[in-house]
Amino acid sequence: MATAMNVSPNRMELIKLKQRVTLAQKGHDLLKDKMDALVMELFDSLRKIQDSRIAAIGQLKKGYVALSECIAVMGTLETMQAARETRKEIQIDVSARNIMGIQVPSIDIGEVERNALSRGYGLYTTSSSLDVAAKEFEKALKLLVDLAELEATALAIAKELERTKRRVNALEYILIPRLNEALKFILMRLDEMERENFTRLKRIKAILEERE
Amino acid sequence: MKVERIIKLELGKLNAQVPEKRLTLKAALVSNKPAVFTKGGGVHSFKKGELELLSKMLPEEDWEKLQLPIFISFEPSLGRGTAKIRGKIETAVVAQIIGKNKDDEMTVYRPEVAAIRRKLPTTTQYLFVG
Repeated sequence: MATAMNVSPNRMELIKLKQRVTLAQKGHDLLKDKMDALVMELFDSLRKIQDSRIAAIGQLKKGYVALSECIAVMGTLETMQAARETRKEIQIDVSARNIMGIQVPSIDIGEVERNALSRGYGLYTTSSSLDVAAKEFEKALKLLVDLAELEATALAIAKELERTKRRVNALEYILIPRLNEALKFILMRLDEMERENFTRLKRIKAILEERE
Repeated sequence: MKVERIIKLELGKLNAQVPEKRLTLKAALVSNKPAVFTKGGGVHSFKKGELELLSKMLPEEDWEKLQLPIFISFEPSLGRGTAKIRGKIETAVVAQIIGKNKDDEMTVYRPEVAAIRRKLPTTTQYLFVG
């Protein structure tokens, strides 16, 4: 392993290698902390998504029930005509927030529930059931925007988590063991060289003593 | 040497979310779009609902002293999943959320970090200290 990394067994290389191990270990510890935090954020987002989705689906159900009633009272064509006349724009403020370097959308949605006058359709030609249906769908819209924000956040966190996990695994299972192996190789080689030197000196001493 | 460069790059990017300059709660409350510029070049905005929550948690004279975002700093020396919160006002806010005694410096553990982040997702940020 050590020869494959092209390390020459000397003290300078040993010092350099120790520095590399320290850096790799530090990187590993910090990235692992980041990974833990990302997992925490992801699970939190998933929990929120689940609640938000249940709320949005429940609200949409109410909306569709109210719409069915409205169609039954007013008729399909009249309801569609009223829908075409309705003002469709809402005010939302889309900005970004940063979670550990990941840019995720942050949506501030103001008041989406309007009164019958500000919706845009004529009050004379429509039934009050249309107001009820519109109100239910406006409530659902707010929940859907919240859900969209949460889903985009969870997706971005999941992508970053995958990338971080790959880095942590590369450090934990490949780089750090390789560096430790090389470190061990140099230490053993230096010990071996020291023993060789010691034996050589003892041999020289014995030869010199024999000559005397 | 390529691997070392990648590690250094990754470590450099760990704190890309840290703001260039923090904002006081008072300044954030009066701002139309309360946000800070991050070291990574992005923008981090605070939700108004959270700012209002913080303003209710603290007396008005402390609004000027609270720097946003509040840092939850992870240090490998503390052990896995352990973080610190520094600052008198910052710990006072966190103490109210997790029900701990306030101090100048507070050690928080993973479930507590999750509780803080759940309550204050934009006004708190992670900080990784090597």
